[in-house]
Amino acid sequence: MSQTRTSAQRVPTHPGRGWALPAALPAPRSPVPTPTDFDAPRAAAATHTALCLWLPTFELRLELVRAPELDHTSVALLAAGESTRRTIWQVSERAHEAGVRAGQGVAQAVSLCPSLTLLEPDPAHYDAATEILLETLTEISPVLEPSGRGRVFLGMDGLDRLFGPPARQIERALASLFAIFPAPLVASIRAGMAPGRFGAWVAATSARPGGPVVVSERELPSFLGRCPVRVLPVDPRMVERLERLGIDTLAALRDLPAPSLVAQFGQAGRDAHAWASGRRIDPVRPWHRPIPLRASLAFSNPVGQVEALHGALDRLIERALSRPARRGRSVTAARLGAHLEGGGSWVVETTLREPTAVRERIAAPLRAKMAIAPPPRAVETLFFEVTDFGAPSAQESLFDRKDVSGRANGGSGALQGDVPPSLREAVKELKLRLGHSPLYRVVELDPWSRIPERRHALLRFDP
Amino acid sequence: MKGRRPQLRPLGEPRPVHVRTDDQGTPEFVRLPGKTARRVVTLRERWRIDDEWWRQTISREYFAIVLDDGRVLTLYHDLVEKAWYAQKG
Repeated sequence: MSQTRTSAQRVPTHPGRGWALPAALPAPRSPVPTPTDFDAPRAAAATHTALCLWLPTFELRLELVRAPELDHTSVALLAAGESTRRTIWQVSERAHEAGVRAGQGVAQAVSLCPSLTLLEPDPAHYDAATEILLETLTEISPVLEPSGRGRVFLGMDGLDRLFGPPARQIERALASLFAIFPAPLVASIRAGMAPGRFGAWVAATSARPGGPVVVSERELPSFLGRCPVRVLPVDPRMVERLERLGIDTLAALRDLPAPSLVAQFGQAGRDAHAWASGRRIDPVRPWHRPIPLRASLAFSNPVGQVEALHGALDRLIERALSRPARRGRSVTAARLGAHLEGGGSWVVETTLREPTAVRERIAAPLRAKMAIAPPPRAVETLFFEVTDFGAPSAQESLFDRKDVSGRANGGSGALQGDVPPSLREAVKELKLRLGHSPLYRVVELDPWSRIPERRHALLRFDP
Repeated sequence: MKGRRPQLRPLGEPRPVHVRTDDQGTPEFVRLPGKTARRVVTLRERWRIDDEWWRQTISREYFAIVLDDGRVLTLYHDLVEKAWYAQKG
């Protein structure tokens, strides 16, 4: 009989006990990075030699660390999303042997494997573990580029004088992780070092746990030549087409004339040819990560009503916006999460179309995402995080002035035509001094235009 | 008193900038008017706009970048004029 489990433990900061190393957990359905992962080589502070540390099914392994008794049993992690039709996200080796696959519906998975244990995803826990992983690795290299959970690229240029040859550098990176994470988790990491992120990623995918693969610049073309075309970070349909044409390896691909590939596949064909021949070296980009701004609200009783959560979200956004650390910066990306009753967590994220500091504009996309994928259980703690910030706004302080009741209105009143008394007074004073109002109001012209300068305009503000 | 017609001033008008790119056409150095050239440390996003082919073609390749002084900037390469601009929004 299948069962659903959750656990309240948060981050594994101590070594696990009796958690045997799985010989070979099935690789995720799409271990190949998305095309955007390797698009557009970056210059400047980026570094040439890359180390890729990859932990397949990272989230499931974290769950098995929390519940070691489930190790060597049939376990599947559910995908976050709609509560009406849940699907399988990651499966253990035993479940894979029983025919359970990622993407299957729960009913199908349970019919294939009646002893399957289903686990609810706990994204807040995975993010916290990822955060610790990255913090630990910054002690090895300052050039760090995460690529989703469970995969990270480190820029290793110049570290040989500090740590020695490449093998020692990898040992050092893993040793730093062994000091923080449970040994079985770190022992499952696959490490690959090569010039550029693509080479390092391919090296990591061909490595065994505990047996890192190091590829020098001289060896790179021959190493890549032996690899299948499905390691290319391109559209899977392009890979399928290549395989149907009998082009199975990167060596076969690079033997083709580049113009022919461009004629067939456009820019992707050019990129594929450059990667396959080892000519294109994508350096590791330094990770740009502002310190997130966080506000949380713990409910005295778990809350399941959407209206109550919406109200709490509004309060949390107001609190985050009013923090001194936010002043002068607008919001471009935000995250809403919850710790759920009985353990587990829930998270939705949004990247705003335009930077804003208006509560309603931040709340609207989060509410929409909450409607599509609501928290699966009642919420104990709701948290809101601003994860990325936009350009500073010099007018922010003026529009952030408190209204008559003393509550900060975040400037939303002025945008909606309701002019705060303080602003009205300010305009009056300026008119007396200058003879005209030097203030402008931002008005929408064509807010959804693809041409930025046609979206908004300034209109003289003279209430 | 005679009422004045409200005048609109477009927001986010592009400003010409000097940009040095690498072989792939990705910005490496950016010099804003009256400032020294700064190095691009991160390319956060890249997208393209092709519009209004029936009128006066607009063809732009946008880059959201971070400079080495921490400034976040949106640039575009006007593929019709072959010129670079910085733009807010």
